[in-house]
Amino acid sequence: MGESKSDVLQGTLDLMVLKTLESMGPLHGYGIARRIEQVSGSTLILNQGTIYPALLRLEQRGWVKSEWGTSETNRRAKFYSLSRLGRKEIEMETENWERVAATMARFLAPSN
Amino acid sequence: MHKLRILFLRITTLFKRRHLDAELDEELQAHIALAIEDNLSRGMTRRQARTDALRSFGGVSQATETYRLQRGLPWLEQLMRDTRYGCRQLLRAPGFTLTAVFTLALGLGANTAVFSLINALLLRPLPVPHSEELAVLHYLRSDDSGPNYSFSFPLLRSIEKNHEVFQYVAGFSNTVFQVRENSGNVRVPGALVSGQYFQVLETPPLLGRYLTPQDDRQGGSGTEFPVVLSENYWRTQFNSAADIVGRKIVIANTPFIIVGVMPHSFIGADPTRRANIYAPLWAEPVTDAPYNSIANGYHSWWIRVIARRNPRISLEQGNAALQTESSAVLREVTDAQWAKDAQKNHFLLTADPGSKGFSHLRTAFLKPLSAIFALCAAMLLLACLNLASLLMARSAARERELATRLALGATRQRLIQQLMVESLLVAILGTAAGIVAAPVVSRSLALMILDRSPESALDTTLDLRVFAFVAMTAVATTLLIGLVPALRATSKNLNEQIKTGAHTVSTQPGKRLLPRLLMAFEVALALILVFGAALLATSLTRLYRTGLGFDPKGIVNLEFDMGKQPLDGAALVSWYQNYGDALRHKPGVQNVSFADITPMNGSTWTEDYHTPVSGGDREIYMNTVSPDFFATMKIPILAGRDFRWNDTLASGRKIILSQTAANLLFPNRSALGQQVVADKNSYEVIAIVGDIHLVSIRKATPPGGYISITQDSGHKPSYTAAVRLEGSPSPLFTAARSLAAQMAPEIPPPVMISLNDQLDDSIRSERMMAMLAIFFAITALFITAIGLYGTLAYNTARRTSEIGIRIALGARRLQVIALVFRENAWSALSGTLAGLLAALLAARALASILYGTSARDPLVLFGSIAALLAVASAASLIPALRAARIDPIQALRTE
Repeated sequence: MGESKSDVLQGTLDLMVLKTLESMGPLHGYGIARRIEQVSGSTLILNQGTIYPALLRLEQRGWVKSEWGTSETNRRAKFYSLSRLGRKEIEMETENWERVAATMARFLAPSN
Repeated sequence: MHKLRILFLRITTLFKRRHLDAELDEELQAHIALAIEDNLSRGMTRRQARTDALRSFGGVSQATETYRLQRGLPWLEQLMRDTRYGCRQLLRAPGFTLTAVFTLALGLGANTAVFSLINALLLRPLPVPHSEELAVLHYLRSDDSGPNYSFSFPLLRSIEKNHEVFQYVAGFSNTVFQVRENSGNVRVPGALVSGQYFQVLETPPLLGRYLTPQDDRQGGSGTEFPVVLSENYWRTQFNSAADIVGRKIVIANTPFIIVGVMPHSFIGADPTRRANIYAPLWAEPVTDAPYNSIANGYHSWWIRVIARRNPRISLEQGNAALQTESSAVLREVTDAQWAKDAQKNHFLLTADPGSKGFSHLRTAFLKPLSAIFALCAAMLLLACLNLASLLMARSAARERELATRLALGATRQRLIQQLMVESLLVAILGTAAGIVAAPVVSRSLALMILDRSPESALDTTLDLRVFAFVAMTAVATTLLIGLVPALRATSKNLNEQIKTGAHTVSTQPGKRLLPRLLMAFEVALALILVFGAALLATSLTRLYRTGLGFDPKGIVNLEFDMGKQPLDGAALVSWYQNYGDALRHKPGVQNVSFADITPMNGSTWTEDYHTPVSGGDREIYMNTVSPDFFATMKIPILAGRDFRWNDTLASGRKIILSQTAANLLFPNRSALGQQVVADKNSYEVIAIVGDIHLVSIRKATPPGGYISITQDSGHKPSYTAAVRLEGSPSPLFTAARSLAAQMAPEIPPPVMISLNDQLDDSIRSERMMAMLAIFFAITALFITAIGLYGTLAYNTARRTSEIGIRIALGARRLQVIALVFRENAWSALSGTLAGLLAALLAARALASILYGTSARDPLVLFGSIAALLAVASAASLIPALRAARIDPIQALRTE
């Protein structure tokens, strides 16, 4: 297993899921996956299945809660929503990402 | 905190896996369904919608698998799977499992039992606060061979005055008090302790207060001496009375006042004795009457000294300071002669670490216990080697399974882990069974070490130290039994393995070396154990066969305590005579007599005698006896006559000498009718009797001398009645008790012990060692037999087809038997040879314990080898015979 690479990707996916839940409110796995695909456009190819281990991980950490409910098409599905801890985590992670992105941007900027 | 919560969550999921799996399944199906619906609404055909939904989902089983890994703890699940698999494997071979668990339980149980005994006697600190600050005092003198732990009363008092290194210093002496209970006077184990004793041990009392220096003064703090009771005594004798403090208790016909009760956890300074009553040292003249060790001053050495170090001063610093204190202590000594003597011999006080208190049993049992521990360890090693061999043979039978799994992609590490889990299971089962048995075993071992007196006790309960030991041994055991077979079983070349398949013929010679070496090692160990046990047993038998000079069979001793009743002198002598006469009429009693010292009761009394021809003083082992003593004990009177009840002092002092003593005092001439002199008294020799072992069975018979109880000048002497009895001793006990109560109501009931028990007691460490060694040897033989049989049976089973072919091709049965038998012969013979050398070396350690037996006794050695080889042959013959009965057609068909 490529430890470091997947860690970064995991982190990215986690934040995407959290952010999606923050903006959309409670949502089922399919909804989350679709939303991420839509937002990222064609830049990201997501195997929708990978969303589920990520959701479980977030739930284990206490950042999201899950509940069975019914979809708009009247289908039984598990709905995920953000917890208080999750909101805090988004703040921290966003800050973190912005710092990393800024640093990377400085490195990638053409040197003058 | 966070991590813990996650771990907990993951562990809990392990228990609802099925439910969670179903839920995940439902969730994923919902996902696909939602995606299909979505696609349909975007105008795809049903088929397209479905394909697209599945494609964008990615691999369903991959997602499920990652999900499961994230959900639970993969390593734990794997472990559980391995455990289940291991259990199934063990259940599939119940014979193997039972043998494995049983032998390990024996080995581990024995080790645990002996270790908990060693722990209780040698390792466990006293249950008092800061036990590491305790120190045991002794003194060295250049005229003594070793450290001396006995102090006299005045010496203790001057140490108490002169100590600066210690916070507190205390003396104590174990004793038995004569206490008046409802049933009359009884003997109660207790201790005489000096003023700072409880301060040294720092344990708060359960009720009331403990004894202080104010209590330990001549005459006590008030009119009566105070005493402190043990919790146990308070509960049993006083029904846990709440108003116990202030009540009276009568000890040695004198009232004492109870001032406190010590809690159950308090065991005093000697972990092998339990005192029920603690009285101040100054009460000794009362409780010990008619003796008075305090008045005896420097002639009585009866006190052990224990101290509490100042925590800021190390033991080394303390010892340096004690050196200067020694001379200060000496300066205070009132006995000028003793002080001068001590000065001349460089009297030096020294402190030992005392966290474990003081017990005289320690020095006595250090060697036997270490030897037994070594035996146990050898036993366990043997059991492990045996299991390793069996497992190796078993995994050889599983080689194909393992090879297939390797070929299918299992890692070697994974297989080793699985095989180790199996060994771990065996080890855990064995340990569990061993632990269950251990307390019973260690308690009975403790009983073998301790004497029969009621105050003896040793706490052998399992504590943390024992559990740590058990855990370590179990892990070591697992590694020992599992690792080598697991490594070997998984080291095979895959191709090789799968190619050979079931057509297993005898494996390459190199492959057979390791199992053979293991078996040889096992045989060698077994021989060492058997030889050691045979030596100890021979030594014990010779000890028992030693002519004692008297006949102990049928003799029952009744110990009297006459110190605290009114009779004395001639009146007391006639009391003994009357008691003897009365007892003689009881059923079964053949003879009754009295003696001061009974053989091997632990006490000695020596006196220097001389005659004109003896060439100076000769040390004679003395005893005071009544008429008929020699007849009762069946000691032959070689010349002269026995004592008579009318041999009073007025008729002249008389003495009876043993043969050895007579020869010593009157070399080459007749002693009868001659005079011997001790101090200023002259004694007429009235008889010569046979020599007897009085002090020890091991040592040569000492020169013995007897004087008559009618001429004993002692004050209220307490004798022991030696009764020769036919039949059961219990009616005698009842009769003797009621007779004593009737004739002297003040005395405690006599203590009864058969002379044979007393003799057994005197050699109890020899008995314990021999009994344990024999047990270990038999077990070792048994285990080795199982090992030899088991490995050979496995190997032969794997060669069934080969042997079938051989028989089909015309091999005769005898040849087949030889073929199989030979496999073990190599291990057995080389093991015996190696064991022989090792046993001869190891036996040297036993030499000092053995009695009348050489550590290389050829007969014992030969016998041990013969026993081992017989067992080995029998174990190897069974598979060989079975192989010879193989039906070739059957064997070839099973291919």
